[in-house]
Amino acid sequence: MQRFSVRNCVTTNCRGSVQALPQLRPAMNDPESREMLLSIAPTALPIGISGIEKRFGGVSVLRDLSLDVAAGEFLTLLGPSGSGKTTLLMILAGFVRANAGSIKVGGEEIIAMPPHRRNIGMVFQNYALFPHMNVFHNIAFPLKQRRVSTAETAERVEKALDLVQLKGLGERRVDQLSGGQRQRVALARAIVFEPRIVLMDEPLSALDKSLREHMQIELRNLHRRLGMTTVYVTHDQREAITMSDRIAVMNAGCIEQIDRPEVLYAAPKTRFVAGFIGDSNFIPVESRNGSVWYEDRKIRMTSAVPAAGCHLMVVRPEKLRLVADAQPAGSVNVIPATVGDVIYQGDSFACYATLRDGRQVTLRDYCRSDVLARLPGPGEPVNLGIDAEDVVLVAAD
Amino acid sequence: MTKLLCIKSLAVAGLLASVAVPASAADTITAASWGGTYQEAETKAFFDPTAKELGITIKQDTTNGLDDVRLQVTGNAVKWDITELGADECARGSKEGLFEKLDYSVIDKSGINPKLVHDDWVGISYTSVVLIYRTDVFGDKGPKTWADFWDVEKFPGRRALSGSQATETLSVAALAKGIPIDKVYPVDIDGALQSVDKVKGHIDAWWTSGAQAMQLVKDGEVDMASIWNGRAGTLRKEGAPVSFSFDQGVLTADCMVIPKGSKNKDLAMKALAKFVSPDLQANLPLYVDNGPANEKAFETGKIPPERIKDINSAPDNVKKQVLQDPEFWRDTLVEATEKFNNLIQQ
Amino acid sequence: MSMQSAILPHAGARTLNADALHADARRETFGLLALLSPGLLLVFAVIIVPIGWLFWLSLFDETGSLSASNYARFFQQPSYIKTFLTTFKVAFAVTGACVVLGYPLAYMLSQLPRRAASICLILVILPFWTSVLVRTYAWLVILQRKGLINSWLIDLGVISQPLPLANNFAGVIIGMTHIMLPFLVLPLYASMKTIDIDCLRAGMNLGASPAATFRQIFFPLSLPGLASGVVIVFVLCLGFFVTPALMGGGKVIMWAMRIEQTTSLYSNWGAGAALGVVLLAVTLALLGLFQWLLGARATGVWSSR
Ligand SMILES: Nc1ncnc2c1ncn2[C@@H]1O[C@H](COP(=O)(O)OP(=O)(O)OP(=O)(O)O)[C@@H](O)[C@H]1O
Ligand SMILES: [Mg+2]
Repeated sequence: MQRFSVRNCVTTNCRGSVQALPQLRPAMNDPESREMLLSIAPTALPIGISGIEKRFGGVSVLRDLSLDVAAGEFLTLLGPSGSGKTTLLMILAGFVRANAGSIKVGGEEIIAMPPHRRNIGMVFQNYALFPHMNVFHNIAFPLKQRRVSTAETAERVEKALDLVQLKGLGERRVDQLSGGQRQRVALARAIVFEPRIVLMDEPLSALDKSLREHMQIELRNLHRRLGMTTVYVTHDQREAITMSDRIAVMNAGCIEQIDRPEVLYAAPKTRFVAGFIGDSNFIPVESRNGSVWYEDRKIRMTSAVPAAGCHLMVVRPEKLRLVADAQPAGSVNVIPATVGDVIYQGDSFACYATLRDGRQVTLRDYCRSDVLARLPGPGEPVNLGIDAEDVVLVAAD
Repeated sequence: MTKLLCIKSLAVAGLLASVAVPASAADTITAASWGGTYQEAETKAFFDPTAKELGITIKQDTTNGLDDVRLQVTGNAVKWDITELGADECARGSKEGLFEKLDYSVIDKSGINPKLVHDDWVGISYTSVVLIYRTDVFGDKGPKTWADFWDVEKFPGRRALSGSQATETLSVAALAKGIPIDKVYPVDIDGALQSVDKVKGHIDAWWTSGAQAMQLVKDGEVDMASIWNGRAGTLRKEGAPVSFSFDQGVLTADCMVIPKGSKNKDLAMKALAKFVSPDLQANLPLYVDNGPANEKAFETGKIPPERIKDINSAPDNVKKQVLQDPEFWRDTLVEATEKFNNLIQQ
Repeated sequence: MSMQSAILPHAGARTLNADALHADARRETFGLLALLSPGLLLVFAVIIVPIGWLFWLSLFDETGSLSASNYARFFQQPSYIKTFLTTFKVAFAVTGACVVLGYPLAYMLSQLPRRAASICLILVILPFWTSVLVRTYAWLVILQRKGLINSWLIDLGVISQPLPLANNFAGVIIGMTHIMLPFLVLPLYASMKTIDIDCLRAGMNLGASPAATFRQIFFPLSLPGLASGVVIVFVLCLGFFVTPALMGGGKVIMWAMRIEQTTSLYSNWGAGAALGVVLLAVTLALLGLFQWLLGARATGVWSSR
């Protein structure tokens, strides 16, 4: 229960946010949430997933997948369509049988346990509310299965409705609710029985942008208050970054990288991760003789020099900067380029430049007056600067 | 009045139908009967010879009975010049005035039972209701009389009677009470119903069509039944283990009429005269088991003697049977049928 | 038009274009009505007019004069009440048998993989391609005293006396159930196919055992399909003729058989028409009751789709 929420500000427009500004705040200090925890207090448990294999017919969908989720953690599975996110969630919930592997919840093996005994709450992508029951009975359903007394059921449903800010809507029919309200009913239903773990499969994908952003904050707050172990699925990288403690990036049935969002953004380990999270420029470099070279220029970098061979330098657009001096100075690398186009975007601008080898790169900066004053026009030669500490190398494929 | 209107509009459909067939020439008449093997036999026995002799064309149609005639007559759309009906239907239709008067100076009625000779209808053939039983169950010691049929202790077994022909079943029920064949008519309906009541708990099927009666007996679904003699004869020919006789049979007649408004009334009269003449009447039993209505047919010498004993209307067989009285049923049919339905429905 | 109303003194912001919009709405209504009119006319011509005519006919006795005698008959002749009760008894029994057999069948079909389901569905529909008469005779061959079932059972020594399966109430129920089953299974199957599998998963996820999930979620969600199947089967049963006539051994008289009998017995269309009108009225009343009892819940589920 000793959790701290991490509010970070990692967006592609935020320059210099490698050290995200964490607002450390113990959840227990919030009097409101303490009261909630007394009424709905899930015993957060860690999940240990190891060696999961899943094949549909001959097609391997999950390959030797292992993943540990800490108790009370908000972990997001992020990946392109078809990467196996839903399948993993279904295996966790018990609706799909894995071919091999182990799932331990709090040390207990559950891989062969029938779904209704797993005590794992799930929010379905389409909510899967019961259309023949009203809101109250939907939320009371898990309690009814557990033979909770009528009085206690009423009380707990009331609390859950309160929690998702739907007080007084208990008698509504499900089809009389808005999308966001349905989503909250699904959430209330998934947590009212104090599950050890909550799984959510793209719960916000059906909502419009503003409602989605609002619900992201609500979900996050709810998680902070209740502290249950949460596995969240999305293919929206922004959503993943804003909400998660950690993100597991999945690709073709494997986990490519699992890390805190800011680490994932600042230090992607593979080209796939770099390309999937945020915008990236990939500049080919070569490691030889204990240094890294871009053409004839030696790259200054703070991280360790990788093994000899070809690599890609990952540079986020906002890490590139226009510098006056064509010669590298101090810890700044300089790469010459020619401006193709400059696009004004209100608070910022994007500069599309061509390197000498013909490769396109993008630079993004705020429209500060000092920058605007030096803005180049199309066709002008420019020098792009990269700080040594922003240099990230990934294997070229 | 409005009903008439409705029927008129129905008749328009009938008219249209008759327009489709080219209007009959003066020497063409249309005769309607029940269809099937019976009508085929009539064609060979009556229609073809008559057409040939009179040099006319006889077109054929099939009828469902009195309702069809009523529809044509009240709708002023008479398609038929001669049609066959059951005798009790003739009696009812006559009361409703649906038929043309018959000219007995053209039609020779001698040899036809006077009960079947009326102003506007005349008998044409006979069907009998007989008692049939399975010899694989009873050997030749099966029920011979309706009293036997009613005796469930002496003749245990499964039974079927007609549920659709109340008149026949009530006649049979009267016989079962021991009433002699010449005293059955007029039927004491309440007495007959009481008699039905006694046996109804032992009836396993009330048949509603000749085919059904035949199938019940043939498949051994019942061991004894009332059945039309034609159907019984077919069963015997097919080699089914059955036995029946005309003892205590119930003779029901069919009759022919000329619907009121027939356009070829005179020609129809001549044709009808031929149909009931002993010579053509004698043809009928050569093709079906329905006996001729004119008993003079048996004197023509056309019917082989060994065939005569199997014909229900042969003089020797007629003596053993009850003749249904059409005019009695004309007046009592509705009441008797309703009471009968009420009794047999559980 | 809109310009005019904008210029008119009373035309404030609230009434801007109100007339034009109103006229447009009216035009749309008429347009839709015009589009509907062929259908409405057809319904009027083939349903309303004949039923009206039926009712009109039933008001006349055989002499053609206005009278209630066709209806009075129901009370004078107890056999009509018996027929009526028999008809509903048969309809209820067949509907019940169809539900008992059809629900598991439809459930099985809905759970089968697509290909297997469509093959089985064809098997369910196959009997539609043979005439009712043929199928009824086939049942007679199977069920009667010396039929297939009884011969087998006797040969196997299971029974010593043949079971009374044909020419009685049981025979009618068996024969009619076979004919009616597809009418229940098809709508039921269709509605079961639309049940969201995630709803069932959610049920189990929330702690309901498979049996409880079926009872509390699958079954209630399949009720609309069941209701329409039941209504179809029930109404079809009320007017059934061939099978009861052949399989009932004359002991099970249904309303339709009575209509035929009565019409010819009384030499009067009105006599049969009155029976038709009564059946229609009672059926409608029953359906109304059904709708009232089940409707609210069923429509609740429907509208959420
Ligand atoms: N029942 C199934 N039978 C066969 N293949 C399946 C089945 N379910 C999923 N797959 C395949 O498994 C792969 C992973 O599917 P999954 O639904 O887990 O993807 P996902 O990551 O959730 O994608 P999305 O973001 O589109 O929801 C896909 O290639 C899919 O085609
Ligand atoms: Mg998915």
